[in-house]
Amino acid sequence: MTIQFKLHNIVKRYQEREVLNIDRLEIANGKIYTILGPNGSGKTTLLRILALLLINDQGNLEVLGEKVNWSKSQLLRLRRQMSMVTQTSYMFQGSVNYNVAYGLRKRKIPEREIKRRLQEVLEMLGMTAYQEADARTLSGGERQKTAIARALVVKPQVLFLDEPTSNIDMASAAEIEKHILKINKSWGTTIIMVTHNLFQARRLADELIFLHEGHIIEKGSMEEVFNQPGDERTAAFLRGETVF
Amino acid sequence: METILQGIKEGIYLILQMDAEVVQVTLLSLQVSLSALVLSALIGIPAGAASALKKFPGKRLLLNIVYTLMGLPPVLAGLLVYLLLTYRGPLGRYELLFTPAAMIIAQVLLATPIIWGLTARAVMTLEQNVYDTAVTLGASRRQASFTLVREARNGIIAALTTAFGRVIAEVGAVMLVGGNIRWATRVLTTSIVLETRTGNFSTALALGMILLTISFLVNLIIIMLEKRTFRYDNTIQIT
Repeated sequence: MTIQFKLHNIVKRYQEREVLNIDRLEIANGKIYTILGPNGSGKTTLLRILALLLINDQGNLEVLGEKVNWSKSQLLRLRRQMSMVTQTSYMFQGSVNYNVAYGLRKRKIPEREIKRRLQEVLEMLGMTAYQEADARTLSGGERQKTAIARALVVKPQVLFLDEPTSNIDMASAAEIEKHILKINKSWGTTIIMVTHNLFQARRLADELIFLHEGHIIEKGSMEEVFNQPGDERTAAFLRGETVF
Repeated sequence: METILQGIKEGIYLILQMDAEVVQVTLLSLQVSLSALVLSALIGIPAGAASALKKFPGKRLLLNIVYTLMGLPPVLAGLLVYLLLTYRGPLGRYELLFTPAAMIIAQVLLATPIIWGLTARAVMTLEQNVYDTAVTLGASRRQASFTLVREARNGIIAALTTAFGRVIAEVGAVMLVGGNIRWATRVLTTSIVLETRTGNFSTALALGMILLTISFLVNLIIIMLEKRTFRYDNTIQIT
């Protein structure tokens, strides 16, 4: 087991307001991490810093064994080992094929290889019938599947998911959860997911991270946290009380 | 009313007749304005994208100036180019005044701010998640910038058609720097002025019809090229 992310004393502010303050956090490879917490607790900010989309104001960040210095070349090298799916995925103008091949084309992969990998991932997600369809006319569930396909086709070491199923129906969400589990198990991809859905966290997560007002108030394995929450606020959250 | 009908009749006749001078004037109009459009696009699209995406001091001021220049009066553009190219002007030794090259330069001055400004607007209306999506899928900064321009292309095509409409139809600048010289720098708009001044209203109207027709055809080509390249239209369904 290797540590893929090391955070030490990470602080992020918007103007004067401190939105994230993480004393220490380590994320190991191959597991599914779920970041939970109420609105405004800093979940998305944390995810965006890990995905190198947002620069921390303070502290040390290590990603995939490198101390992050935010240089152009380092950013590109690290980002190319990760990918992301968000709540409302932006579809580039064009077909499903265009969207799914996007990351491969930017990596200058040969066309033949692109075709092969496109086919592989679209078959896995059951999207082959939609290949030529305009990505913007798809239903919410199909859009999210397209977003997952284009994030997976680049074979990332780390996949970030920011509430990937919160805008789609339960059946589609269940299907997407199935794929998340599958690629974690078969490819060993580390998955770092923000969710509001406790049940989803319970179904998927190996590790839970609870955020409250920018601080981690609890972290540990899913079993541990669900069975014996160490913090009263976490316990209340898990009981379904809205104390936050 | 009679003059207008007469003009339309004569216009159709002129087009069918393929009069050598009319053909030459039409082709020169197209040559000048299309060259100006291409040059302005080469300057305006990258400049517009860069000024939308980069943070730098004076950005607001720069964009404000560009937006102002979108309304630059053609005669004023013509005057500036005239002063640059006149025999005693800073670029006088190139002897460009009263040539199609001078007309192209003047039209570039008119079209570039339009393409620049409208491209900047189109790129700035894109949301952060377009860029984020590109880089999280592995695009470099440069590749992501190209993606942003691609995603803003509807606005950029609007910029190109607006700019073309402006330069093909303007008369003040080409008149000043071209001089409306027969067989040399006479274009459709300057011919219309000349024919009107000499009382040949129906010929002037006929030339106007040709002007509208080529404008229509150029726009048609732009739209068809777009459709062929991208296939998917973004028409909003009104129900």
